[in-house]
Amino acid sequence: MIEFRGVNKWFGALHVLKDITLSVEPREVVVVCGPSGSGKSTLIRCINGLETIKDGDLVVDGQRLGDRATNMTELRTEIGFVFQAFNLYPHKTALENVTLAPIHVRKIARAEAEASGREMLAKVGLGDKFNAYPSELSGGQQQRVAIARCLCMRPKIMLFDEPTSALDPEMISEVLDVMVGVAEEGMTMMVVTHEMGFARKVAQRVVFMDAGAVVETGTPEEFFSDPKTDRSRAFLSKILRH
Amino acid sequence: MLENFSFRTIVEYLPLFGQGFAATLWLSIVSFAGALAVGIILCAMNLQRSRLLQLPAKIYIDAIRATPLLAQLYFLYFGLPRLGVVLPELFVGILALALNSGAYIAEIIRAGILSISRGQVEAGIASGMTYAQRMRLVILPQAIRVTIPPLLGQAIVLVKDSALLSLISVAELTRAGQLLASDRFMPAEGFLTTAACYLVLYYGLKSLAVFSARWLGVRPIGSRT
Repeated sequence: MIEFRGVNKWFGALHVLKDITLSVEPREVVVVCGPSGSGKSTLIRCINGLETIKDGDLVVDGQRLGDRATNMTELRTEIGFVFQAFNLYPHKTALENVTLAPIHVRKIARAEAEASGREMLAKVGLGDKFNAYPSELSGGQQQRVAIARCLCMRPKIMLFDEPTSALDPEMISEVLDVMVGVAEEGMTMMVVTHEMGFARKVAQRVVFMDAGAVVETGTPEEFFSDPKTDRSRAFLSKILRH
Repeated sequence: MLENFSFRTIVEYLPLFGQGFAATLWLSIVSFAGALAVGIILCAMNLQRSRLLQLPAKIYIDAIRATPLLAQLYFLYFGLPRLGVVLPELFVGILALALNSGAYIAEIIRAGILSISRGQVEAGIASGMTYAQRMRLVILPQAIRVTIPPLLGQAIVLVKDSALLSLISVAELTRAGQLLASDRFMPAEGFLTTAACYLVLYYGLKSLAVFSARWLGVRPIGSRT
């Protein structure tokens, strides 16, 4: 579904992605973790073209990024992206947020889009917030609207860029619960997160990155109980200490 | 002091001020509409990646902002005829105001658009919107909210700048004051009446902004409904 082959990227002189080779199968859930600045966010932002790669191949849903034949705008409709900062449209209600792209990009009839928008918002536990503006919602509620917004596009892939890092601790679990639900329905997912409980519960694989390179991959079980490299051991000891 | 102040003469000249008021009002409206069009086009050019579009807009905006409106007005009024382009003075006046204000409005709109966070743009991109869709559905509706107050400010500036048209003998408010001053040697009466009329226009514009904000359905972001 997603395949990186020898991908390199630089920000100026900074080598942010170093020879990444990695593939994600359909219906697979992959958690990406690693210290800050290790290139995790950049990695998943490349998948929907929010960042462009300099070198190597990146094939998403059978289409090679950067090819003339690849229509990025169209491909993006198949890829949901959840941001750390939610990025809901502040001038739109929750229901308008989740129906905007289906109506204007997918060209679904308004009534139909609204019906499935309501359904999706109800599914993420916001059945009573259709007409609320983002400013009237808590962080956890906003992030759930953001997830519903992606799901309303019926994507094939969902990418999450540190979806709970901007949340107060008591709101993290309500977002993770929604993400677990999405994973259990068989969505192909790449999740940048340090929520190890989530990784253990639904991820098939954990990818550990450091300094722009994939240092280690393994099942959550292997990775957490028996990390193979010094760097991953050091990282785990830091995030699991408390 | 006030015994020398002739309210009677003002009353006598009221029809002239009425005409001047109407003239200033409509020529400001027409100029502002033109300025908006100029501003939108310049701003659209300025936001493009292509240097070919960006550069002329930048040069134009700098040239207008660097030179006095009076010089621009005189160039159009005295200069253009020498180059073979003869235009009626009213048209020259409106043109000068629209071209001048347009440069400022371009910057106001650009600032409004650039004030929208990168995250909003990315949310639109990630959901598969085209550039035009992002502008129309995400960026502009938010940018309009931050743009209205400075646009109103620019409209007020434009109304006051229109006083310069009196110098090319357009019959507007300041010209009415000049006439009273020179016909009857009553500059105090003349220019105070003119000032009072501008004050009326100012408050009119201010209430228009409140009304238009409501009409556009503008809800300050972050406020509760």
